[in-house]
Amino acid sequence: MALCGIKPGIPVILRELEPSSAFFKHGQSLRVIGKLESFEIETGIVVISDGGFKLKIDMQHLRDFNFRTGSLYQFIGELKFGHDNDAMLEARIGRNVDGLDLNLYKQSLQIRRKIEANLLSRKRS
Amino acid sequence: MESPAISHAKLLASDLLSLTMHPTSPPSFSFPRSNYPISHVEALGIIVATKSNPAHLLFLIDDGTGCVPCVLWLNPRSPPDPADPAPEVVRQQAELVKMGELVRVRGKVGVFRGEVQIVLRDLVVETDPNMETLHWLDCVRLLKDCYDKENC
Repeated sequence: MALCGIKPGIPVILRELEPSSAFFKHGQSLRVIGKLESFEIETGIVVISDGGFKLKIDMQHLRDFNFRTGSLYQFIGELKFGHDNDAMLEARIGRNVDGLDLNLYKQSLQIRRKIEANLLSRKRS
Repeated sequence: MESPAISHAKLLASDLLSLTMHPTSPPSFSFPRSNYPISHVEALGIIVATKSNPAHLLFLIDDGTGCVPCVLWLNPRSPPDPADPAPEVVRQQAELVKMGELVRVRGKVGVFRGEVQIVLRDLVVETDPNMETLHWLDCVRLLKDCYDKENC
């Protein structure tokens, strides 16, 4: 199928994107959520934040994307590192998720990861 | 009460894509450890890729654990399957398939070139982003308590 090769965007919380994290790799496909803090029309870069942590999002591949400062957005894309080793997500999907219960989302993500890890260790044993 | 073989199992993409296929005719599917039979599934995720031709619409839904291929047949099949949606319903569903939409899909598990896919029977756009979180919780609960339970 021609649509093969597209990797799933692994959901991460912004505070998890630190150099020691397994997710902090060039080209890693991720799904991130954050409040839109600012955007630069010239460069197509937006900044999202969550819990004091920020991430730049490169929007050049998104067409007809309407965004509003202060709204909650979710992006799927690949992590890239700039010349100054600054991490940025090159988004291929973006959507407004205003109304999302972020606490429930984060807790559910942890539950899901725990169950998946348990199942994986059972499969390997 | 609907038997497990024809109810729609709620699955995460990674679990759907790991189903064991049995070489029966037609092929049947189950979880590797429990042999729980799965023929129809329900998945929920974001549309991340689409491709269409006159015969069918293909798209991938990403729920963060994997990307599930879904196929919507645009023309009535021969011989016709009474469970297939009506042509006008198919047209309406095809219009809903857009990049970035959060969709809930239901359908029959199939295989194409060795790859598991969902042959679409029903598609709904979820406008409430919390539905995805609730779907995750449903999936892990059902997997733990039923689908992947040994001796199920």
